[in-house]
Amino acid sequence: MNVQEIVAQADLVVDASGLGCPMPVVRAKKGIDTLQSGQIMVLKATDRGSLKDVPAWVQQTRHTLEEVVEGDGEYIFVVRKG
Amino acid sequence: MAKRVAIIASGGGLETAYKTFNIALAGAAMDAEVAIFFTFEGLPIVHKQGPSMLKLKPENEPMAEGFARTNVPPIDQLIQAAKESGIRLIACQMTVDALGWKADDFIDGVEFAGAATFLDYAMEAQVTLNF
Repeated sequence: MNVQEIVAQADLVVDASGLGCPMPVVRAKKGIDTLQSGQIMVLKATDRGSLKDVPAWVQQTRHTLEEVVEGDGEYIFVVRKG
Repeated sequence: MAKRVAIIASGGGLETAYKTFNIALAGAAMDAEVAIFFTFEGLPIVHKQGPSMLKLKPENEPMAEGFARTNVPPIDQLIQAAKESGIRLIACQMTVDALGWKADDFIDGVEFAGAATFLDYAMEAQVTLNF
């Protein structure tokens, strides 16, 4: 699945591009709190630490990381709300 | 048991504010309760004039450019995010009194309490940190 398709099927897209640590997970938390269980949030980030931090955030919350797409200095995380 | 993070911010300078709010905000994003006890040189962080009172230590001044380049948010934005995240901000009453500061000198939402209040909270914390 390409990035456009992933974004098109998301219930919410949170763009944390350009934001430094810890803002990607702060925005992720804020965003996912607006969703219902089972819905999909796509999180975009450019912070290099987010590649490890977003999986760690998911680990500590009740959500599931469905997919990570990396390219052009951007990371796309597909998170299903638990 | 709920996840709980207890932080003491007692160091001086802008760098203490960054270190403290970075971990505090990440903790809140990870569904943990977070409280920060601001004491001694860390107290100005929650003062209304905090942004103008806090400076990087001279040896850390080269970091200012890096903070700007990597879009690290300014302290007032981090404090706003902390308040929105439900992070408790506790100012050390003893330090407030010793400096002759008043409750009105502090940003909205700050609590005033002492060591026992922090410890009562921290006794049940899985993570305790001092910056």
